[in-house]
Amino acid sequence: MILLQSHSRFLLQTLLNRLQNLEKGIELDHHWVEFDDVRYHVQVSTKNPHVLLLSVSLPPPSSETIFVNGLPFGAIDAIKAAYGATVQIKDPPRDGFNLTLKINLSKLPANQDQRQSFLVKIASVREVVLGAPLRVILKHLASRTVAPDIDPLVALVHRPRESFFLVPKADKVTVVYPMRFNDSIDTVLATSFLQEFVEARRTAGLHNTPPCSWSLTPPQELKEVSADALLANAGFVTFVIFPRHVEGPKLDRTVWNLSTFHAYVSYHVKCSEGFMHTRMRRRVESLIQALDRARPDLEKKTAMNRSFKRLGLKKESRNSSFS
Amino acid sequence: MDPAASRPAVVIDNGSGYTKMGFAGNVEPCFIVPTVVALNESFLNQSRTSSKANWIAQHNAGVMADLDFFIGDEALAKSRSSSTYSLSYPIQHGQVENWDSMERFWQQCIFNYLRCDPEDHYFLLTESPLTAPESREYTGEIMFETFNVPGLYIAVNSVLALAAGYTTSKCEMTGVVVDVGDGATHVVPVADGYVIGSSIKSVPIAGKDVTLFVQQLMRERGENIPPEDSFEVARKVKEMYCYTCSDIVKEFNKHDKEPSKYIRQWRGIKPKTGAPYSCDIGYERFLGPEVFFNPEIYSSDFSTPLPVVIDKCIQSAPIDTRRALYKNIVLSGGSTMFKDFHRRLQRDLKKIVDARVHASDARLNGEIKSQPVEVNVVSHSVQRFAVWFGGSVLASTPEFFAACHTKAEYEEYGASICRTNPVFKGMY
Ligand SMILES: Nc1ncnc2c1ncn2[C@@H]1O[C@H](COP(=O)(O)OP(=O)(O)OP(=O)(O)O)[C@@H](O)[C@H]1O
Ligand SMILES: [Mg+2]
Repeated sequence: MILLQSHSRFLLQTLLNRLQNLEKGIELDHHWVEFDDVRYHVQVSTKNPHVLLLSVSLPPPSSETIFVNGLPFGAIDAIKAAYGATVQIKDPPRDGFNLTLKINLSKLPANQDQRQSFLVKIASVREVVLGAPLRVILKHLASRTVAPDIDPLVALVHRPRESFFLVPKADKVTVVYPMRFNDSIDTVLATSFLQEFVEARRTAGLHNTPPCSWSLTPPQELKEVSADALLANAGFVTFVIFPRHVEGPKLDRTVWNLSTFHAYVSYHVKCSEGFMHTRMRRRVESLIQALDRARPDLEKKTAMNRSFKRLGLKKESRNSSFS
Repeated sequence: MDPAASRPAVVIDNGSGYTKMGFAGNVEPCFIVPTVVALNESFLNQSRTSSKANWIAQHNAGVMADLDFFIGDEALAKSRSSSTYSLSYPIQHGQVENWDSMERFWQQCIFNYLRCDPEDHYFLLTESPLTAPESREYTGEIMFETFNVPGLYIAVNSVLALAAGYTTSKCEMTGVVVDVGDGATHVVPVADGYVIGSSIKSVPIAGKDVTLFVQQLMRERGENIPPEDSFEVARKVKEMYCYTCSDIVKEFNKHDKEPSKYIRQWRGIKPKTGAPYSCDIGYERFLGPEVFFNPEIYSSDFSTPLPVVIDKCIQSAPIDTRRALYKNIVLSGGSTMFKDFHRRLQRDLKKIVDARVHASDARLNGEIKSQPVEVNVVSHSVQRFAVWFGGSVLASTPEFFAACHTKAEYEEYGASICRTNPVFKGMY
């Protein structure tokens, strides 16, 4: 539960629901937004209840990242490879979206398991599309080559107008994230979280995981990148991915984890804030209890006095635990 | 412009039974999940028995316990399959009772169900009409400090339910909302979008009581249902088979004459052994919903039927609003979903009103003829999640973003700003 799943929970639920009620032909029109500003829209008309239109809009890229026809490079091929003939790409896509897929619900695999995994794949459309360039690069790494005509430094969009960077080599791919947060408390928590994260990698028995490091200033690899793209208030995280991390079935997982690293950190920051609030509440409660017990009998004489006092103490203990 | 205002607002209606969550501008919520958290307490208990000096271990145990939890249907499944998890229902009778659980519940709703970044969206949350302002402050604190939401609006759920009944043809923000949820039933008169606080009536009978009553009836008849499953079975039976009858005595006769037509079968699988079982569903089909109309069959403490409560509520409202209130009685909440519930309510209420009109006519000896009172119980297709739907409609208007409290305001003035939330009528 600590990791984000690659499929959209709501999209999967919608697809399953649709299939169960295919014959009823109910109209469907729903839109929603996921983290990193990925927006979805699904539509089924009563006229054509077997065809589901799924539109996706991606975070707008920054100047370093190139989109071809509104999509990251390799996305079209990735879609075709993942979905085959059941899914068509609609050209042009729905207004305001980068991609519209036409999914024919009557042509899904008949076998239950296959069908389920196909639906999960559709629900993971953001991984397929946004992760496409990363997948191309890591696939080449798995065969220990470098993709032809690729830049020595690649920028990939992961958040609105923000990129992370890759340095693809035949034997390793270096991935660098400039970490940015809006809120000052988040920035502080994220910084210490990242330092701990790097530390944890070093200490525990995690020798097979990708080496990672954190620095306050941009690492060597990014010296050619414009200063704008390198604004970071929580430092830079670098991972080095080796062929063993992208072998066979590990590839999907790695692509997803790398393309949502920022969301992962931000989720953890929020969790720890919630966690601290819980602690604070418990602390305040136990302090109040302690103070209640510690009060000399003398003061218990008048009820007025007591309630007044308690109010004051509550405030004090609260402040002290928050500071 | 604030970029968050260009994205749909997140609308979450936390009820005592179910939480409805989704994005503004849609006709349905994305998810309806039970408001329940499964916590793993084994870590905590372990460390409590060990020595006090072992502070680090205790701390780590606490950390693990804080991370190991589930919400919604997953929580129910976890608690059924393993005894290490204990269930916590953060909302009881419409009020948040456990803020720790509530915060975790929201965390999971936002990150794991809706999968959105809370910094990207304005939020609309709901509260019961009887919620204390302090509770609103707590909610604000959690939303702004833990989740960094850019803006927050806390709406009274009955007002939202009224907004849900709103159609483009009539601009009606006056009416009585009859919200029968899982843990609380409220009858709330609203005039021009403002709740008439002094006339709110509450009934201590709601969906959960119907479930308990169905469970009790089935148990007393000796139906063979595994005890650990009986509450869930009763709930499903209630949701699938119960209906409102027009006359309880006639209904008994009907059942006795033609049992085959009315008796239903329930088939289940015993959770422990996996063996299949089946049982009959009989009178509870109509007796369940009857608790709203004849509460004395269920409870000895409370005996005022719902139509009488509604009538009293309207009679206690300012006199110039009463006619408008009788004309627009809006149902909301899952427990108004019983078949023919609105017909029965309408009929019973009309009877009470007509009797009063007759009495006054008789008193006046026909000198002045009073105008007939129009009684109208409105039932609509989104009744089950009317509150959420109303929220979705409200939060998709541009005025919503102006009515929200923003993070900047929160930082400037503190949590107390969440105590009041302006009614914005411009949208109608
Ligand atoms: N089709 C149905 N028929 C009858 N009862 C139903 C149906 N669907 C749901 N319910 C019942 O409605 C209740 C849930 O309603 P709702 O979601 O409105 O409550 P809530 O908002 O969680 O609670 P509250 O408003 O009291 O805090 C549950 O008791 C559920 O069993
Ligand atoms: Mg409710």
